[in-house]
Amino acid sequence: MESLSGLALAVALAALGLWTMVTRRNVLWKLLGLNVASGGSILFLVALSHRSGARPAIVGLGPRPAVDPLPQALVLTAIVIHFATLALALALVIVLTERRHTQDVKKLEEEG
Amino acid sequence: MKWITAGVLLGLAALLGLGIAGVWPRPEFPDPDPIATEWDVENAVAAIVLGVRLWDTLFEVLVYALAMVGVRFFLGGMRWQGILPPLAETPLLRRSADLLFGPILVFAVYVAVSGHIGPGGGFPAGIILGSGLLLLALAKGVEHLSTELYEPKLEGLEYVAVAATLLLGAIVLIVGVRSSAAFVAGNLLVALEVAIGAWVVVHRFASARGEV
Repeated sequence: MESLSGLALAVALAALGLWTMVTRRNVLWKLLGLNVASGGSILFLVALSHRSGARPAIVGLGPRPAVDPLPQALVLTAIVIHFATLALALALVIVLTERRHTQDVKKLEEEG
Repeated sequence: MKWITAGVLLGLAALLGLGIAGVWPRPEFPDPDPIATEWDVENAVAAIVLGVRLWDTLFEVLVYALAMVGVRFFLGGMRWQGILPPLAETPLLRRSADLLFGPILVFAVYVAVSGHIGPGGGFPAGIILGSGLLLLALAKGVEHLSTELYEPKLEGLEYVAVAATLLLGAIVLIVGVRSSAAFVAGNLLVALEVAIGAWVVVHRFASARGEV
């Protein structure tokens, strides 16, 4: 049951992030939305790999069935890549603000 | 656009509702122990990250290194020009940071070295070490710390770590070595790479936009 609440929370986070990305005009808010949506997708994968009463995927921790290690390995990759790409995106936002003096996508589109 | 987003969100909620209602039965997981023992380790996640999906991890390390090169490139020419008020003298924070950094370093090395037999691995270890560096930077000031941790030297070390990771990956993939020693070495190299990347982010962001 707890994995279902995890899935529900994951979808809610992804929805919140997606909504922020679409409705906000500030680039920083969009990145924040992307961050939240990414957290949702990470939680979704972790909740998928979970079963109540399952043991960690480590040898020698008892006869109970283990959780699925593949989503956990995927999540490990996702977190690191997310950190790196977010850092790069924020660096680009700093450069953008230095050159164009705005973070508003509408103004940036109008100015061309 | 908002209506499309609302539709997508409703679709997501409907999919979730169907999933909770049990329309798609959840499959039983296969036993992960054989994968772990096949690669001579005990942690099945480590066996997947540095064994079954090693190609993926190698490219992940490359993407991480490239992103850090990008951060250096874009923020390299920027220096903070304004005068910032100095931080209040906090001897307690400075002493505690000095005292805490040693245990943090030891814990990071432990997490990296024991990643193949328990929870841990190179990526968490690198982030733990990066957090320790952030603590030192907060306590001493980034510019002061950056004279001690000279970045061009670290940059060279980072590239050496990336090259060594690729070489290790080639040995595992081509020669077919399946030993826990390769996992320990891989985890340590990845930890070094991630920690240096985290320091690059802290340093560049702080020096492009003022002292932390």
